[in-house]
Amino acid sequence: MKTRFWIFFAAIGVLSAQQVVAPTPETVGAARGENHGNYNITNSFETGYRWSLVGGDLGEYRSDVNYRNGLRLLGSSLSIDSKDGHGHYFDQILLHTMGLGNDPYQSAILRIQKNQLYRYDMTWRLNDYYNPGLTVAGGLHRMDTVRRTQDHEILLFPQSGFRVRAGYSRNTQDGPTLATSLEPDNNSANSAGLPVFADLRRQWNEYRLGADVDFAGFKLTVLRRWDFFKEDTPYSLVIGSSAASAGLANDLTALEQFTKAAPVHGRNPGWLGNLMANHKRWAVNARMSYLNGHNDFALSEFSSGLGRFGDAANRQILVQGSADRPMVAGDFNFSAQPSSRLTVVNNTSVNNLRIVGPSSYTEINNGSNSGQTIIFRYLGIRTVTNSTDAHYRVKDWIGFYAGYRYTDRLVRTIEGFSIPAFDVTSPNTVYENTNHLHSGTVGVQLRPVKNLTTNLEGEVGRADNPLTPVSDRNYHTLNGRVSYRTRKVQLSTSYKQVYNVNAPVVLSAYSSHSRNYSANASWAPKDWFALDAGYMKLHLDTVSGIAYFAGTGRTTLQSGNSLYLSNVHAANFGVRFAVAKRADVYVGYTITKDTGDGRAVVATVPDPATGGVSPAAALFAGVQTFPLSYQSPLGRVSVRITPKVRWNAGWQFYNYHEQFGLLGYYQNFHANTGYTSVTWAF
Amino acid sequence: MRILLLLLVTTAAGAQTQFVGSNACKTCHADVWMNFYKNPHYKSIASGKEPAEKTGCEGCHGPAQKHLEAHGGKTTIPRAFSLMTPKQVLDACLGCHARDLARANIQRSEHTKNDVACTSCHSVHHAATPKYLLAKKQSELCYGCHATVRAQFSMPSKHRVNEGFMQCTDCHNPHGSFDATWKMGQKPRMMEQAMNTESPCLKCHMDKRGPFVYEHPPVRVEGCETCHNPHGSMNAKLLRRPVVFTLCLECHNGAAEFGTRNNGVTLQSNRHNMLDPKFQKCTTCHISIHGSNSEGFFLR
Repeated sequence: MKTRFWIFFAAIGVLSAQQVVAPTPETVGAARGENHGNYNITNSFETGYRWSLVGGDLGEYRSDVNYRNGLRLLGSSLSIDSKDGHGHYFDQILLHTMGLGNDPYQSAILRIQKNQLYRYDMTWRLNDYYNPGLTVAGGLHRMDTVRRTQDHEILLFPQSGFRVRAGYSRNTQDGPTLATSLEPDNNSANSAGLPVFADLRRQWNEYRLGADVDFAGFKLTVLRRWDFFKEDTPYSLVIGSSAASAGLANDLTALEQFTKAAPVHGRNPGWLGNLMANHKRWAVNARMSYLNGHNDFALSEFSSGLGRFGDAANRQILVQGSADRPMVAGDFNFSAQPSSRLTVVNNTSVNNLRIVGPSSYTEINNGSNSGQTIIFRYLGIRTVTNSTDAHYRVKDWIGFYAGYRYTDRLVRTIEGFSIPAFDVTSPNTVYENTNHLHSGTVGVQLRPVKNLTTNLEGEVGRADNPLTPVSDRNYHTLNGRVSYRTRKVQLSTSYKQVYNVNAPVVLSAYSSHSRNYSANASWAPKDWFALDAGYMKLHLDTVSGIAYFAGTGRTTLQSGNSLYLSNVHAANFGVRFAVAKRADVYVGYTITKDTGDGRAVVATVPDPATGGVSPAAALFAGVQTFPLSYQSPLGRVSVRITPKVRWNAGWQFYNYHEQFGLLGYYQNFHANTGYTSVTWAF
Repeated sequence: MRILLLLLVTTAAGAQTQFVGSNACKTCHADVWMNFYKNPHYKSIASGKEPAEKTGCEGCHGPAQKHLEAHGGKTTIPRAFSLMTPKQVLDACLGCHARDLARANIQRSEHTKNDVACTSCHSVHHAATPKYLLAKKQSELCYGCHATVRAQFSMPSKHRVNEGFMQCTDCHNPHGSFDATWKMGQKPRMMEQAMNTESPCLKCHMDKRGPFVYEHPPVRVEGCETCHNPHGSMNAKLLRRPVVFTLCLECHNGAAEFGTRNNGVTLQSNRHNMLDPKFQKCTTCHISIHGSNSEGFFLR
């Protein structure tokens, strides 16, 4: 019976792990491994060949999926455990890898620990994907971004009352980045921004050192951190670009030479202190954090080419300066449990952030020095929040909770500049924006029968002066969830709506409505069969008051509404079954489809003045909704050849289909991907 | 007084004798015991220094004397987790695990408030992951309740969670966190604040951290979610709108009362003719939209 449960559990795990076609999830079953002295060793490798066949927009495929051809170590797992917990140098080693050997998503996780003495954790990851060069790519999927991250953490004396912790993290980013040249005609109404791509170099290193102490029922943690950021990307134009090649007729602007260097060296050293205690009737947790960010930077940019009318032009820009950001945050959280049925939690948070940055800007245009400008900018944000939540369990089957939150936020900016060539210095001008939020929450939890739980919750918030028109002002949320869970059957459904209204302020009549529905079912009646299915609907509609300049001849200020409507229907289905205890088969399907507002073609809007189609209205009508579908069926099989060897194969199809080509460009693609591999385990 | 003292000593001794030791448990629960040395909780046995109420099986399940005498049965186990309420489960686990910094705010966690107990995600005896003893792969655990998040991670533009590059806990702390230092301090949202007090987005997107001479205020004041859907989006770059100019214009409309100057978020320049395609891709020119050191309009 117990073994059956293990296999059943493994079946659930295998089923649930199906998201991409590889690696093959390792089945959990009876204990295995080989004993060497005082250690037990288990090990497995899955190695094979991955392939992909892509049709359509390769750039969009590489932005969304990016699996390619080649040999891979799809997955590996190693564990070494001491059998009595008294190993000589270590008691446990865990190592898991995924996707090594040029997969776009790779990771390695390592843990080494010796009881009572140390615990070391390492995570290494790589993410390789295309990024649209521009927001609406229009074919410019040029940014092959590679991120590598690694984290190391060591904890000494993990089971004692005094623990020392140290850590190191490293994060690098490589790949093309976008640097637009506005030269040499950027002051013209017809100025062209010509994209220049360059290979960026970014690097971030962080070091941590701290300790935890237990005393008198309290736990104190102090952590010091130092981090350093460096970006030193050399930009240079390899191939000249022109406004004409960007589709701008009657514009002779051309960029023939472009160089730019903008090195940035930054650091964000900080302290974190935390004091906590957890007792039967009360708990307290207090945090204090201080961070002192600093950036030194310089920029030198030179470009030359032709102006809009074909005349020679060049420009050089020099900028240097620094920016500081001291930041303090403190929290105090007190929980009281006067009875086993009542919990009251009060939390007060304060944070204060100041950003101060002077810089010196010099611009030389066609050999004439336009002068140096010294700019000063300050941004300060101070937020105070207090919240109280109470939770009362009336009976085992019913409980209520309620909460109230108050936030006071002050945003202050100080702006000033001076031009040394002129004896004019503008005084610093101070601007302030204060915002207060009151919000309340009520909820009820019901458990009418065993395994059936129901949660209903509502929240109302009122803010008086949000920073942006799209921020929360008058909002409410409703949230409901019902779930029924047994070992063989899991059913759940949920509903959530969020309404936010910023009306009736003129021009900012912003409102947004989102409603999310979901239903899920998992059924595993036998240890060799499991089924999982789900459906979600994500609805969003927004209306925003906008103002912009547009015109077929002379531009004029126009106002109107920006509408956006999205109806995303998402479904997933998967079934896993075993064949004669020799083969595991999984078949799955996911689809995500935005039906927009149901229209089949881009709307055209008649101009009330002329009766024709208003170009500006047509532009906005064309982007009010973005219907598309993205679907992916997959199948995989894993066959046991011997008790230690399995053969695996998988196939996954992707189909991305835009119904509207935004701004006239479609990025549809379809791709068949798959792999075949062998798993060796002992 | 002597009688009271005697009573106390007798009671304490009686409670002590209720513990039978883990060796008694493995007689019947051999399947659990067989792999238990690989379990992090085995440390309590290996140490040999822990008191009986914190050692091995009885460290979590309580004294087993009655369970032994009754020859089994869940109801005779003092702490049978499948029969306990979420709060009882939480209290039992916090008996040892309260001191970890990551769980410091668990009493205020949304999970705790919604009766999501430790055993909802962790399986001590049948874990699918040896690290953290999760009952399933992490993302699947979270999807089990947060089904709409599953849909978001299946969208074309998304963070690579399903692909295995990231995990939910890279950005969230399922055990509860303090208020975020951005937005208006509404619900904590269980954001992992590994960067002391800053958004977890900056752990990877370190170039957006600054400080910059010219900060784009919504980024620092309201957070990245002003423009991006962090889980996934049908639009490129996780944006909330399919084209960038609608996103920008919804704030930059000059309407009074908003913005850092309290007199509206700056209207776009009158040189920008929205009918001209080059002005429809705002970030083509405003490339440093998250913050710039050299240009107040984020042009470089």
